[in-house]
Amino acid sequence: MTSKSPCPPESNLRGPDACRNMRRIIAEDPLWSLAIVPSLSDLCLQSIVGHFEGNPIFEQLTPVQKDFIQESLSPSLPLSVTANLIGDGVYWRRCCEQRWDLCDVSNYGHSWKRMFLERRLQGIIELFMPDVTDPKTVLEMVPHCRNHVKRLDISQLLPPLKEEVEYGSELTIDNEYDGVSMDHFDFGILLDKLTGLEELHLVYRVQQCGLNFEWKMFEMTARDCESLAKALKSCKTLKLLRLHQSHIEDIKCRMLVKHLLDHPSLRELDFSHNLIGDRGARAIGKLLTRSKLKTLNLCDNNITDPGAKAIAHALSKNSTLLSLNLRLNRLRDEGGQALGEALLSNNTLRHLHLGGNEVTGPTAIALSKVLVQNSTLKSINLSCNNLGEDGGKALEEAMSHKTSITECDLRLTEVDEQIVSFINQMVWANQSLERKQQAQDKKPSVDPSSPSS
Amino acid sequence: MGGEQEEVPHRISSLQRYLTTPVTNIQTAADARESMRRKELEQARKVRLEWLENDVRSSQEKFEEITKGWSMAKDKVTPRELQEALSGQQQLCALLVENKKKLINDLQQELKVGDDRYVKDLRKQVEELDLMMERMEDQVKTLTKAYREELAQLERVYQQENKVLLITDKKERHQLLKKLWDEELERLAQRKKKVEEYEAKIHSLMLETIDKQSVIKTEETSNFQVLEREQQQMQGTNMIMRLKQIKERDDVETHKFNLANMKSRIISLQAEKKNLVTNYMSQVKQFRTKSRHLSKDHKRNIQQYERIQKTKKHFAVADARRFDEMWLTLEEEVRQLVERALVIDQRICERHLGLAWERPALPSSPFQPKKPARTPDPQPVSQLIHTEQSSQCSQGTTTDASGGPGSQAEGVDADACGEQTAAQSESDAWESEEARLSTEMKVMELLCDETGFLMEDQLLKMLAPLEKQGPTSVKLGSLLSSLGVEEEDLPKLADFLLTYQQQQTKVSSAAERVSIRTSTFDQAAAVETNSDLIHPNHVLPALKSFLKQHMKSRESSGPQQSSVPPTEARDSSTDGAYWERMGNVIPEEKVKLWEAARNLLEQHLEVLQEISELVPETDRLEQQNAELRMLLQQSLNQ
Repeated sequence: MTSKSPCPPESNLRGPDACRNMRRIIAEDPLWSLAIVPSLSDLCLQSIVGHFEGNPIFEQLTPVQKDFIQESLSPSLPLSVTANLIGDGVYWRRCCEQRWDLCDVSNYGHSWKRMFLERRLQGIIELFMPDVTDPKTVLEMVPHCRNHVKRLDISQLLPPLKEEVEYGSELTIDNEYDGVSMDHFDFGILLDKLTGLEELHLVYRVQQCGLNFEWKMFEMTARDCESLAKALKSCKTLKLLRLHQSHIEDIKCRMLVKHLLDHPSLRELDFSHNLIGDRGARAIGKLLTRSKLKTLNLCDNNITDPGAKAIAHALSKNSTLLSLNLRLNRLRDEGGQALGEALLSNNTLRHLHLGGNEVTGPTAIALSKVLVQNSTLKSINLSCNNLGEDGGKALEEAMSHKTSITECDLRLTEVDEQIVSFINQMVWANQSLERKQQAQDKKPSVDPSSPSS
Repeated sequence: MGGEQEEVPHRISSLQRYLTTPVTNIQTAADARESMRRKELEQARKVRLEWLENDVRSSQEKFEEITKGWSMAKDKVTPRELQEALSGQQQLCALLVENKKKLINDLQQELKVGDDRYVKDLRKQVEELDLMMERMEDQVKTLTKAYREELAQLERVYQQENKVLLITDKKERHQLLKKLWDEELERLAQRKKKVEEYEAKIHSLMLETIDKQSVIKTEETSNFQVLEREQQQMQGTNMIMRLKQIKERDDVETHKFNLANMKSRIISLQAEKKNLVTNYMSQVKQFRTKSRHLSKDHKRNIQQYERIQKTKKHFAVADARRFDEMWLTLEEEVRQLVERALVIDQRICERHLGLAWERPALPSSPFQPKKPARTPDPQPVSQLIHTEQSSQCSQGTTTDASGGPGSQAEGVDADACGEQTAAQSESDAWESEEARLSTEMKVMELLCDETGFLMEDQLLKMLAPLEKQGPTSVKLGSLLSSLGVEEEDLPKLADFLLTYQQQQTKVSSAAERVSIRTSTFDQAAAVETNSDLIHPNHVLPALKSFLKQHMKSRESSGPQQSSVPPTEARDSSTDGAYWERMGNVIPEEKVKLWEAARNLLEQHLEVLQEISELVPETDRLEQQNAELRMLLQQSLNQ
């Protein structure tokens, strides 16, 4: 508000002499101009902004006025006022930029409001300390962000506090360890209320634990697992579940799978960097038959040939799975051959990753048969396996046929360089072929940088 | 160019491939190492497990040995032995412990090695990560560089192309422009030349055309005026012609119309004529029969008439006689009445009024009773009747003869004429008769000729074929009938005409005094010699005057002829006076006097009447009085 604003009304109130006086004064003031005088509507808007918390007026305004209010509202207003009133726009961008340095809105569907609310909720959950923080703090957020939160990327879950006990008496530690539960935040209270949630990324770990490192900080308890499983079951909109680096063993895996069976919307499952063994793999095989999963990531687990056989068996009957990642397991030849046989009767899988699985020639021979027969498989990764000369030759022979493979990784497989180069040539040829087809499919010129590695 | 464009994506994709491989190589290498590490770990674990198992087995053996030793030691009784056994056990335990310690040490060593390795791995991973990041950055850099280069190249290529095109275009444009300009300049020059030429031409043409135009204009105007005049003339003539035509047409139409009318009228008239002829024929027949009947009726009527005349005469005589008688009786009565009135008057005057009365003179009666010998002579009457009858007869015959052949009519007419003359010749001299007849005839002829217009056309037509003598008589008959002049008046008419002629010719008044007949005869004779009876022009006015006179005389003579008047006409005027005087014997003053006397008498009468009425009452009262007196006397007496 400028200092000149009160002048015109005063002049209006007084008589013509006063007007003349005012005019004289105005003429003497070189800075005065009519543009400085704010219009009544601006004043009204400013007052609306000033009393927004007590009397929020937003919906009745015109788009221009809304923009003005979004520009000038304070970002520190409580969410209860703003969350459901102000739509996505400048205000939320200001909120985000005030709170965080890095704001990549493209990861959030280009919605600043969604970004703000999701990150706000993540922050609350990540700092949630069982038995200390009131669950209400989380639940209070629910009505504001229920319709906007689509993804929760939780990078840490704090265990309950016990340092006081530790420092209190060493004797009671053991008892405490047994008695006091190490359960983390219970997702049961939250997931069924977030009606728009589609992705859930969970890591049971503590970031920046420093010298307080304990293995227990990096694993989920049985009760955590149960509550999480039930919460996942209650969340009907979930499409992607990513639960990695959380020490999931066979038992916990079975528990989770048991509750994820027949989930209506789940499309992608990521259990990478866990400790799932053959029994867990068998459970996942069962899950494959009773769900509509499209992507399954089991990399860096403990699956060996029995588990691989179970998965292969499920794969032979499955018609939804598009991508399977079994990197850094120990399938060995038996598992690899089982998978190869399963793929002969499967026409949906497109991507298969068998890197670092200690498979050798026989698996390569089995897969080369698949390459010849199967026309849907597009990418195959056999890196870090000792395939040997025979495997390489079998693959070369298979690739000499017309195949649909556009990606084939044979690095560190002890295969002859010439074979690898030949296979690469074939793969590149297929790639260019595919690109041409794509270009033909959609007439507009294809962006050359679209196929990313 | 096209190949280059195709090569670009290929180059970039290969670049991507080659650039990503080093990065992914690190990952795969890490994977491989990881798998190797796992393998090693597994093997180490196996070795360790074996080791541990061996150790467990050996330690178990030792432990068993120890326990055996302990059991053996229980058997030992001697402390020495016990000591020995204890020491042996101690040694064994120490060995075991040593073994265990060694194992622990080994394990710890291994752990340390593992830790070191972990740290080393971590470091290595950090290094690898750094390397990866570095490579990625490099990759990004190279890629961006490549893209930039690509872009720059493309831009350059396009710019070059553009430049080349621009230059060529510009050149072309310049050339074309130059050409164009040159052409334009040439054209401009040409145009300028042409313009000048044209201007000159136009100027000359303008002058020429103006001259021509003025000439033409004047010519045109003159021509136009001539034409206009002609046209006006033409219009006038045309107008006249048209009017003439219209007139002719009108005439023709009217003529046509008249002609048609006439024709139709002629036709209708002819038809009418035919009809009329037939009608006439039939009517002639009817008339013949009718005339026959009528003549019969006429005779009968004449006889009847005679009879009536006789009775009339008789009645007239009787009436006269009665009249006289009546007159006498009436006069007697009146005289008596007058006498009486006079007596009454005398009495009134004398008695009531006490006036002296003198008798007024009575008028003498104008009527003297005549001698009854006075009788009218019947001869002239009968003669008259006879002449009338004869004339009527002759008339009937003439009318009869007119329908028949002319010769017969002539004969009949001659007869009639003869008869007529015979009838009238009674009082006239016979000698002058013939001359008079001839003049009469001539006068008649003249009259007929002059007054032919009075006759009906049809009659004239019908008479046309007759001979000269015939028509005059017939004409005369019809003329006289139409004029209402009787046949008997004919000579009178002739005479009149002759006298009229004389009057006109201013005959001396002396001649007038002479009896009309004689003079006329003399004059007629004189006139005859002159063969100028009457001027034809004077015939009509003469006839008119005659008719006037004749009608007057007729009117006056009509009643004389028809009624038989008393031989001596009574003077009725004196009768009226007489009767008047008789009526007014008592004058008006006397009547008034009488009236007054009467009134007085009436009053007197009334008084008298009242008196008379009172008389009985007085009588009664007297009687009553007498009775009462009687009664009184009686009562007195009694």
